[in-house]
Amino acid sequence: MIGGLRISRDPRAWIFLGVPSVFLVLLFVLPLVSMIVLSFWRTENYHIIQDWNVDNYYVIATAGAYVTFLIRSLVMAVIVSALCVAIAWPVAYGVIVYGGRYKLLLSLGFAIPFLTGEVLRVIALQGLLGPLGLFNGVLMALGAAPLRFIMYTNFASAIGLVYLYLPIVVTVIYLSLLNFDMRLIDAARIFGAGPFRGFIEVTWPLNLFGTLIGFALCFVPCLSATLVPRFLGGPSGTLYGMALAQQFGESGTWALGAAMGVVLFLLSIAGVLLVFRFVDLRRSGFTGFGRS
Amino acid sequence: MYISLQGISKQYASVWAIDRVNMAIAKQEFVSLLGPSGSGKTTLLRVIAGLEKPTEGRVLIDGQDVTELPPHKRGVAMVFQEFLLFPHRTVRENLAFPLRMMKMPKAEMDERIDWALGILSLQGLDGRYPNQLSGGQQQRVALGRGLVGRPKVLLLDEPLANLDRELRQEMEVEIRRYQMKLGIPFIYVTHNQEEALSMSDRIAVVNKGHVEDFAERTTLYDKPKTAFIAQFVGRSNKFEGKVTAADGGSCTIDAGGLSLTASGNGGLKPGDAAFAFVKNEKVALAPEGFVGEDNSLPCTVRDVILRGAYAEYLLETSDGLGLVASRPRSGEGPSIGHAVVAHWASGDVDLYPVKPDLGLRR
Ligand SMILES: Nc1ncnc2c1ncn2[C@@H]1O[C@H](COP(=O)(O)OP(=O)(O)OP(=O)(O)O)[C@@H](O)[C@H]1O
Ligand SMILES: [Mg+2]
Repeated sequence: MIGGLRISRDPRAWIFLGVPSVFLVLLFVLPLVSMIVLSFWRTENYHIIQDWNVDNYYVIATAGAYVTFLIRSLVMAVIVSALCVAIAWPVAYGVIVYGGRYKLLLSLGFAIPFLTGEVLRVIALQGLLGPLGLFNGVLMALGAAPLRFIMYTNFASAIGLVYLYLPIVVTVIYLSLLNFDMRLIDAARIFGAGPFRGFIEVTWPLNLFGTLIGFALCFVPCLSATLVPRFLGGPSGTLYGMALAQQFGESGTWALGAAMGVVLFLLSIAGVLLVFRFVDLRRSGFTGFGRS
Repeated sequence: MYISLQGISKQYASVWAIDRVNMAIAKQEFVSLLGPSGSGKTTLLRVIAGLEKPTEGRVLIDGQDVTELPPHKRGVAMVFQEFLLFPHRTVRENLAFPLRMMKMPKAEMDERIDWALGILSLQGLDGRYPNQLSGGQQQRVALGRGLVGRPKVLLLDEPLANLDRELRQEMEVEIRRYQMKLGIPFIYVTHNQEEALSMSDRIAVVNKGHVEDFAERTTLYDKPKTAFIAQFVGRSNKFEGKVTAADGGSCTIDAGGLSLTASGNGGLKPGDAAFAFVKNEKVALAPEGFVGEDNSLPCTVRDVILRGAYAEYLLETSDGLGLVASRPRSGEGPSIGHAVVAHWASGDVDLYPVKPDLGLRR
């Protein structure tokens, strides 16, 4: 389908492909390689010791806590990403269909949360959900019992993660729908599909690719989330990313941290490959193959 | 009548895309909507299909008032101007779509699809995706998708616009054949008069959202009802002038020094501004010095354009007025630079007032 990699002899091709390649190597491949190397070394008393071993991976697999954190993170990431997609779809669709001439303005609105830092947003949320926060403050002032499940729990973490990544998912699905020819829905309706059937047959499959990208852009950072569980998750809310960050901070076990990072990276790759194994790009109207 | 449009209007924001359209179409009829770009043809089709709700008026199909029905309950099919094939489905799956929605059994479905692939010469392409097809092939798939479901009405929005002339003429004949075979009305939108004239039983000429006339194709061509139709259908010489004399039987107008005689007066009085049209093929040519019919005009041949079976003579009078005469190419015609006399019968002059009051809203 894609054909062999044929790169033009035109020197311009080397500039256009070369510059991004250099950036990719400098900013992505080099750090990754150094992380992989570090993960097979050892740290002792805040010193890196260069003797090759696989102890770090052994610890991750057997220490129990890390596996628990990892599974908790996976479950959390799946739930949060699914929630984000479920909320983002109607929002993005509404803006496209009813946005009229304010479409652009509304879509820029999705970006506003990015204008503040992540820490600030998480702390603001802590202020809302915590024991003395807005919700429970009001409830207690009214004489009601505070909602315990939103105070320092995994539930609170989930709210926080949805809140953090929803704008990205909405933006991605919005862009996908913007590229989608809504008149195809007319065609489906003419040929006998009701509104629901039309959605299933045309709108959903043709925006599946965009939806998956939105899902992945939420899923991957959720797996490595550190701030949200720390501020909102409470005692039993430690997630994998948070544990990973601790290796590089308080405990100073950088080599173990690097190994955890490698595991996370492989897991993310596996997840993405798995998704694309089951999605036929052609079936999502992806036309990037050109005419073959 | 099988389809009846009663006082249909559609307003978008500030424009009346269509304006009080009344049409009645019989079951076996092939009807064309002919009009320039932006005249409201697509909008009218979308109203019939149910994709657009009319601002005013009712749509009846097969005796049933469908004005409030959504498109998927109307049993109509449409070939869209932009094809709108499903890009994530192969040709075969695109053709299967209407049948699947009807829950047709698999065997019958395959039979229907193969029939459609056959009549549209699409065999061998059924596994391709739309973006792997040429424009003309996509157009044929769109046509096939309209035909497979045997709808109550087929609406076609300029379905042949992307084909080359040869294929287009072939398809015109084919489309007409399917229509007769299926025995359902086709409503065919085009801005190409030859296409409308070659296929239709009746033609509705649409101008600024209004149907100027809905008539048999010969009537429309031979006796255009309005100046717009006279200009839009066929090729004509157009004159503008003032009526100098009018009685019951004939009328004389002065068009920039040129005096034209017409039989009939088109409801005009002396002093009225008028348009006069003479079809190119009604202008005959005679040798210099000829005096005969009601209208004769000495000219010089400026150019000759070959159109295959006939030739167009571009003529010019001594006053610099341009004229076109189409003549069959039998024998030797006059050549460039020759002096000739252009003449035509008063019965071939169509007269219209310059400012007709159609009461249009745009
Ligand atoms: N959705 C819409 N919103 C606003 N105006 C519209 C809309 N659709 C059509 N119009 C206007 O209505 C008029 C008729 O449009 P329509 O598409 O029916 O023309 P058409 O005869 O099909 O033209 P063409 O031959 O170019 O396809 C045009 O002036 C167009 O600008
Ligand atoms: Mg149109």
